Amino acid sequence: MENPALILSIPLILIVGLSLIKLAKKKGPDGKPWFRIEKGENNE
Amino acid sequence: MGNPGSESKRVKTMNKHLTMRSGNPALKATTFRKHLSAVTEGAMTLSGTVNKTGIGLILIILSAGYTWGNPAMHGLVFPAVIGGFILAMVTIFKPQYGHITVPMYAVVEGIFLGVISMIFEQMYPGIVIQAIFLTFGTLGALLLAYKSGLIKATENFKLGVVAATGGIAILYVINMLMGFFGSSIGVIHSNGMMGILFSGFVVVIAALNLVLDFDFIEEGVEMGAPKYMEWYGAFGLLVTLIWLYLEILRLLAKLQSRR
Repeated sequence: MENPALILSIPLILIVGLSLIKLAKKKGPDGKPWFRIEKGENNE
Repeated sequence: MGNPGSESKRVKTMNKHLTMRSGNPALKATTFRKHLSAVTEGAMTLSGTVNKTGIGLILIILSAGYTWGNPAMHGLVFPAVIGGFILAMVTIFKPQYGHITVPMYAVVEGIFLGVISMIFEQMYPGIVIQAIFLTFGTLGALLLAYKSGLIKATENFKLGVVAATGGIAILYVINMLMGFFGSSIGVIHSNGMMGILFSGFVVVIAALNLVLDFDFIEEGVEMGAPKYMEWYGAFGLLVTLIWLYLEILRLLAKLQSRR
């Protein structure tokens, strides 16, 4: 076992990652997720 | 507070949400109900509770740091444990005095944590900073999980955490009583696979108690609990954080002793 603290921090990193994904998917007051990638329309 | 409509709405909200709110014995279902009519100076706010938790943490860190550097303070560890217990009881039964008892509790717990941390550090150099990092890391991760809705404090969740916390408490009391007769429950102190799994389980339960504490504080704010309950919410969070830190310290020590 290399560094026990490093191993114990893996579940924390996973929780943070999953929470951020959940937050990104959460819809804002306008019904759209607060973070999204949309295809931009071409300007003339 | 004086409006009967808002009063009945608050009571309904409480009845809906305040069942088995937290596994932390300091944060019981009836806590806000008892103090609902005792509002004297404004209502509990989230920022007020966060500030008071911050004050408590700073006092713990200062007190622990001072104790660490002053061997003369080490003799105060047992009075600190007893004083901490008395102050905790006063805070639970008389939360109105939280603005006095909670900072005092933080200082005496700091003395205790300072000595314990120093002993662990002498045995396993570097362990204390790792435990501090993991404790605050857990606090941050679970706060994010709670705010994002990844972990929700549902009734079943609360029931499970309360039951597990109660089970651990009973086991620790039995272990303490066995200690008087020169015996102990092996799994609590063992660094074998079972001992590590047990410590890991206790760390998880202590961490999940944080979620119940967040929920308790949020509920108090939602219900317009009295201002002095900010100190009470901060106290609950401090108790859980101290427990979590000690369990992480124990788990790290078990893991390091196998290296």
